[in-house]
Amino acid sequence: MKFVCDDCRRAMELVDNTPSEDGGSMAIRYTCPNCGRSISMITNPGETQMVRSLGVTIGHEALSAQPEPMAIIRDALAGGSVAATTGPEPMWTDAALRRLAAAPTFVQGMVRRLYTDYARQKGYTEITPAVMTEAREALGMTGV
Amino acid sequence: MTNHSAVHDESNVLGQVLAQRERVAARLAHIQRVVAVMSGKGGVGKSALTANLAAALAMQGRVVGVLDADIHGASAAAMLGARGQRVVIGENGARPAIGVADVRVMSMDLFLSDEDAPVTWGHPGGLAADTYVWRGTLEANVLREFLADTDWGELDTLLIDMPPGADRFETLMRLVPNLSGALVVTIPSQVSHLVVRRAIAAARHAGARLLGLVENMAGLTDGEVTHELFPNGRGEDFAAEVDVPYLGRVPFDPQLARTTDAGRPFVLEHAESAAGRAILTIAAAL
Repeated sequence: MKFVCDDCRRAMELVDNTPSEDGGSMAIRYTCPNCGRSISMITNPGETQMVRSLGVTIGHEALSAQPEPMAIIRDALAGGSVAATTGPEPMWTDAALRRLAAAPTFVQGMVRRLYTDYARQKGYTEITPAVMTEAREALGMTGV
Repeated sequence: MTNHSAVHDESNVLGQVLAQRERVAARLAHIQRVVAVMSGKGGVGKSALTANLAAALAMQGRVVGVLDADIHGASAAAMLGARGQRVVIGENGARPAIGVADVRVMSMDLFLSDEDAPVTWGHPGGLAADTYVWRGTLEANVLREFLADTDWGELDTLLIDMPPGADRFETLMRLVPNLSGALVVTIPSQVSHLVVRRAIAAARHAGARLLGLVENMAGLTDGEVTHELFPNGRGEDFAAEVDVPYLGRVPFDPQLARTTDAGRPFVLEHAESAAGRAILTIAAAL
């Protein structure tokens, strides 16, 4: 949607947008680049909902926005999501890798990920057999 | 005269939507085959079959991913032993969970905070009564994010476990226009055939190539004898009626239910059983 300044016959330019506190509508402000006259458009909640559900952004933030991975899921899931941003990957010690190698081949990738996630959540920088034992007890894992 | 040269869409919504499509295409460029597993009918064992086909393909040396498109009934992570892992957002997207046989898994289940958490969306307008306005669009975009934002890496095959019903299939075809094809799952009952027939028509209408039809729960096997569960539905005849290649029948094996619940695809440990052999044969046909 665009607006034209009737006096100047110039297309108005978007200045900013301000979401309402309940998130249901948005005030979008335009100004004439020639005379400086401003107007604001208020969207209705249905329009705001549709735009947000498309995963696009409106206004100036759209110009620089490189969307975050899984932005819709992380933003819109009621109750929040448990996705985490990446941190330093804990290092596996040789002893821990030997113990991992004793697990059946078809579960090694899965088990490695579980231990790595556990260590990352705990803030450990390396994964040792002791960390594996701790994780195994904490996660209720058996047989690996 | 109005200066139209200054008229431009600063938000460039169309450009953003096109960029979304390009991100899907860029991600899928690293995946050789994308196969949707669909039915139209719920309760035919489609998700368990998907998990077992993924494991069977991995046993055959393929690098496999499973995208759980059943947003409200997500089960792929559980069936592939990947529950409890967290989705980690990295530089190259969201890291999928790793299931048994190194199957890469992306599912709504991995985002939920606890066992009892349902998939509900915050109301972007604060008006719950208006959810019909945006829910379908939002969930179509969740599927897009699963495709585009998951760091799948290089895959031989990505299996997409579709939800019951045919409506999401059209969304998938818009997102993945070069879908390798769809595998149709039915059980040998007349009611299932009725529903699956409509889903096949919808998939054809959306332009999908139908790779084949699998008849699941085709009898109950105790390891030696197979007892018929649905006497009135012959999958082979049904496949001929709907003009879809018949890929085979998978008998129900109680062990399949137990291993699936335990997050260990049946085919890994029971490859020599009647159901295991059937699954491996179907996987080879994919």
